Amino acid sequence: MAATESLSGPNDLDDRERAAVESLLYRLADDEFVIADRYTDWQVRAPTVESDIAIANIAQDELGHARLWYDLLEDFGHTEPELIWERDPETFRHSTLCELPFAEGDWADAIVRSYFYDEAEHLRLEALEESSYPRIRDRVGKIVGEEGYHREHAENWLRRLVGGDEGRERVQEAVDRLFPYALTLFEETEEDAAIDDLGIRTRSPSAMRAEWIETVTGMLTEIGIDARAPATDEDGRVSTDELPDHVGRGGDHTDHWATHYDEITNTYDELGRDHAARLMEDPDDE
Amino acid sequence: MDLDTVKERAGPRQFSPDDDMPREYREAATRMIQFHANSEIMGAYLERPFIREAPSLDRKLAYSAKTQDELGHGQLLYRAAESLGIKTREQMLNELANGEGKFLNCFHYPMESWVETPMIAFFVDGAAMRRQATLKRTSWEPYAHAMDKVVFEEGFHIKHGESILKELATGSKKEQEMVQDAFETWWPRIIQFFGPTDDDSTHHDFSAEVGLKQMTNDELRQSFLNQYLPKAEKYGLEIPDTPTIEQDEDGNYRVAEDELDWEEFFQIAKNEYDPGRGQIDSRKRAHDAVEWVRETLDEYETTASGHAPQAAD
Repeated sequence: MAATESLSGPNDLDDRERAAVESLLYRLADDEFVIADRYTDWQVRAPTVESDIAIANIAQDELGHARLWYDLLEDFGHTEPELIWERDPETFRHSTLCELPFAEGDWADAIVRSYFYDEAEHLRLEALEESSYPRIRDRVGKIVGEEGYHREHAENWLRRLVGGDEGRERVQEAVDRLFPYALTLFEETEEDAAIDDLGIRTRSPSAMRAEWIETVTGMLTEIGIDARAPATDEDGRVSTDELPDHVGRGGDHTDHWATHYDEITNTYDELGRDHAARLMEDPDDE
Repeated sequence: MDLDTVKERAGPRQFSPDDDMPREYREAATRMIQFHANSEIMGAYLERPFIREAPSLDRKLAYSAKTQDELGHGQLLYRAAESLGIKTREQMLNELANGEGKFLNCFHYPMESWVETPMIAFFVDGAAMRRQATLKRTSWEPYAHAMDKVVFEEGFHIKHGESILKELATGSKKEQEMVQDAFETWWPRIIQFFGPTDDDSTHHDFSAEVGLKQMTNDELRQSFLNQYLPKAEKYGLEIPDTPTIEQDEDGNYRVAEDELDWEEFFQIAKNEYDPGRGQIDSRKRAHDAVEWVRETLDEYETTASGHAPQAAD
């Protein structure tokens, strides 16, 4: 395949290019931001001191990635308050997998969710390594290495958990419950055609989803967990029956998200803030 | 080694697991390090909800990193305590979960608003830093060694705490008032951090004699006030009237300790203060809720005999 012509910097994009880049960035940033904030529920509550430190590490990696992606949205003139703190929660574009709360003690959920998410993240980042938008391309490398560690962490834990009866049952329950939500990570919106067409991403969500399904069902079957591949049409699209009621990508969220967003913005609102403190430099700023 | 030899040889980083230490020493050191480790965990437990509520992305990152560091300090310190051969880490963690483990007075008070976070992250951590810096010269080498890392990282936490305080203290009028209110609530507790004057401290004499403790509570309180009273004033905080603090002609601070609520302090010291009890119990519920994972891990390690289990850290 011939390399797509490289897009220019943020100020020189036409409307269609800009809309496509922004749409992709919102999904990347919102996914990372929301799942990271969810993971922090486990800080100082994980099963062992070591697992506690590990989940904190993962949460921070994802938050750091969210920050990298939100920074690229700031290139278009958006401010952090607009992107996070004063944003209408219904305009967040994360997959609903990221926003589900954890039941107390449900470590199997944390592990299965992280496994599903990081396998998808891995594919998604690979499809950005040759992105036609230079600033996306430049940032992918920073993230890929960390996601490798996350996948290893989740897989190691899965193998350990299924080694006991209760663990196996809980993993099975989490897989059954979360699988449809994980499929939403690859759901397309009307901007996707332009994203692929402009080479901002080099692989379509449907193609990525097909590989993801093969990888995760293969791995789960190997460790004795039932996982069935969902029905798809010839274009790799999953029937809506296989998806949860709320997909997230189009701004359609579960009720949990509104509650979660209120908690996230509680201080900002309580103090009547109109700006967000920056402590670190944007790597693209001189 | 007999106790007289211990006292004679007591000095910075003098004793290690290679030495045959008397039981009195090992028990005193365990008590001290376990208290310290527990405090790291309970401090992190208290602060965790504010990772979510931090009002900027960078603050959220810094706050998450801080609680993670504190867990790491707990891990290091339990290891240092374990090296004394009195209690296993599991025992100490169970004691903490069951409400038998003791920890710092300030971490028994609930925190409800972001404006309270610098009270812990700047003042309490700053107070702890006074003590920890001296513990780099404690006689139990593994403890002193742990302090090298702890003190290094705490330095960053305090800087972040100071940055939060500065932001609030130079923020809107409302923020300034809120942070002043929080300061008034927390100030007496922060002063009590160092405990009552040395005359009333039961464990100090022995700990000092065997080189575990390097400075008295009074010396530490002086050092804290010297450093932090000017800082509070620099950020426009008014020092509350209670307790009365006066400076004598040598520049030393005299705190009117009888104005402080020692009944509450000793209630806390026994883990019997209601709000603190709430913290302990809610943490116990969280701890119990993942008991099944620890059991599954044990099961996995037993059945996976013959080959070493993979690390799932």
